[in-house]
Amino acid sequence: MTSPTPQQPHTAPGATGAPAATEEPPAYQETRIERAIGRGLARVSARALAPYQTAVIRIGFAGTWLLFLLREWPNRQELYGPAGPFDFTMVRQLLTGNHGFSLLLWSGSGGWFECVYLLALAAAALLMLGWRTRTMSVLFMVGVLSLQNRSVFVGDGGDNVLHLMSMYLVLTRCGQVWSLDARRARRAAAAGVPDRGPDSPRDLPGIVLWAVLGLALAAAQVAGAPGLTWFGHGPFPHIGWSLALWGLWAAHGLWWAVRRHAPGEPRTVLDTLTVLAHNAGLLVIMVEVCLVYATAGWYKIQGSRWQDGTAVYYPLHLDYFSPWPGLSQLLGGTGLSVMLITYGTVIVQVAFPFTVFNRRLKNALLVVMVCEHLSIAFLLGLPFFSLAMITADLVFLPTNFLTWFGGRCSALRRRFRPAGAPAPDRAAGRSPAEAAAGSGGDGPTLVG
Amino acid sequence: MQSYGDESRPLSALSLPSRIVIGTAASGIAVAVLIHLAMMFLHVAPSNTLSRQQSALISDYVYPEYEQNWKLFAPNPLQQNTAVQVRAHLRDQDGTVRTTGWTDLSARDGQAILHNPLPSHTQQNQLRRGWELLSGTLDAKNTPTGERGGMFARYFRRIVMLRMSGEWTRGGARVEEIQLRAQTTAVLPPPWSGEKISDRPVYRVLPWWRITAGDLPEGATNQ
Repeated sequence: MTSPTPQQPHTAPGATGAPAATEEPPAYQETRIERAIGRGLARVSARALAPYQTAVIRIGFAGTWLLFLLREWPNRQELYGPAGPFDFTMVRQLLTGNHGFSLLLWSGSGGWFECVYLLALAAAALLMLGWRTRTMSVLFMVGVLSLQNRSVFVGDGGDNVLHLMSMYLVLTRCGQVWSLDARRARRAAAAGVPDRGPDSPRDLPGIVLWAVLGLALAAAQVAGAPGLTWFGHGPFPHIGWSLALWGLWAAHGLWWAVRRHAPGEPRTVLDTLTVLAHNAGLLVIMVEVCLVYATAGWYKIQGSRWQDGTAVYYPLHLDYFSPWPGLSQLLGGTGLSVMLITYGTVIVQVAFPFTVFNRRLKNALLVVMVCEHLSIAFLLGLPFFSLAMITADLVFLPTNFLTWFGGRCSALRRRFRPAGAPAPDRAAGRSPAEAAAGSGGDGPTLVG
Repeated sequence: MQSYGDESRPLSALSLPSRIVIGTAASGIAVAVLIHLAMMFLHVAPSNTLSRQQSALISDYVYPEYEQNWKLFAPNPLQQNTAVQVRAHLRDQDGTVRTTGWTDLSARDGQAILHNPLPSHTQQNQLRRGWELLSGTLDAKNTPTGERGGMFARYFRRIVMLRMSGEWTRGGARVEEIQLRAQTTAVLPPPWSGEKISDRPVYRVLPWWRITAGDLPEGATNQ
């Protein structure tokens, strides 16, 4: 980050969000608008914004999905398996109609299903740890889409959040801090290993991973796997999944080659393009969170129960959403508390998208919303939905808080580290992102 | 491949071709972001002038991967409990046919959720959402209709057989037919509201369905 102040949502990249130009001796005869565009472009192409926030949501979404997959491990056949209630012929019929992408459409065998489930588990775990983050974010997305599109009728709001965010995360450099990638880069920097040019390490694991994934994709392509079209239905209209996945694969290869063999201007150009994609993805994630709250709030305002202040009473008395009936009845016991929670929920949800422009108000509402989701997790028995929503909220946390939190975690870890053992994370002290950005003063400690 | 260069450098220091590439990419990304966000907004916003005019374009973009619904407990929260109950015609080994009593599958889900900090999708969503899907395709005679009606009916029969076949076939009986009914009970308004509604359950009884081999998921049997 350029400034020590927390990253503000309104400084997120935006095509329209460029600040108005202030008085400055003009170098060229540019109009105000040209200057504004120039500044905006400089800002969103200079560096990948919000490294801590994107790391937090990476850990949060991958962790939520990982815990969910582990929780459902005993039920995986029943939920997603080829011989479960929603069997292979049904999913083929459904996905042929709506063109959803799923690896599980490629084969109806039980072995293939187990492989895909394990792949989804492994990708979630590795993305959470930040090992080969950019590659794992693609595999994470493939895992999420494959399982969720396989059985859309067992999902809920939490699955929906993960579905969207798994795709948006692919665009972001979400491993800049708090990842194994960042730790590796830091150690290499401390050891004086160049990170570019012909003398930089060849990165054998990366090459192997890239080659294996390319071969796997090629094999699927040659075998005519369903869903792998070039210009058919894909992540965007007329951009098929083949084009998208091969494009990502080629981009990874190109980045490696350019870093090693063209460390000058070509690398800078590629880096800038990556930064632009990251900042665009970050903006989309933030707006998406605002859309969730805006929709949830605005539709509630139209409901008579939310107007008369009794709405919260009803979910607490639904058999499917009251794991703790005694507690639910206690909470829904007095009219005043139910009304306050009902009105408070609507106010917070409607207000949130507007408060992102005011740091203090936004942080106060974040606390309220995280608390509300924690109670939903428990009272309504929706832990994974709540975890996904809390993670989505965290993209708006201030950087100051995140670096403080990271410092606390590092301190805690050092306390439990055996005396005398080196603390490698302290070696460089700061991530490459920060070091390059030159954020001064007491460099925050990082969690490896 | 994984190192993150993040040095700042002025764009003006780059050569013209590089600046053209970056400028083009930046414009393209900006346009793509605007289109994407506009589509997401029109998808979640209430039906309006623009979304009605462009409904084909929007759904082509949004479905299937960006579909979303954030009307969480809105405009009004659900105010009734629906319990799905099931019974069967069993043919015993001696050839006699008997009818079982009703089994409340939703109540079993409720028992599994009770005091459970981590309810499974199999307990919380499978039957509940399966019934929502199925009941949406039922006509006035409670027969599934439409392209998806048959699929949802078969899906639901398989959910039922997965849960019930063990109990029904324990004594060597064969499951011939099953019947579903939904019992809907209103959640009574809070005591302080003064509203009066009936909490008498309303039943929706479906016709008998024959069980075939296609209705048996892995782990279920009809005999």
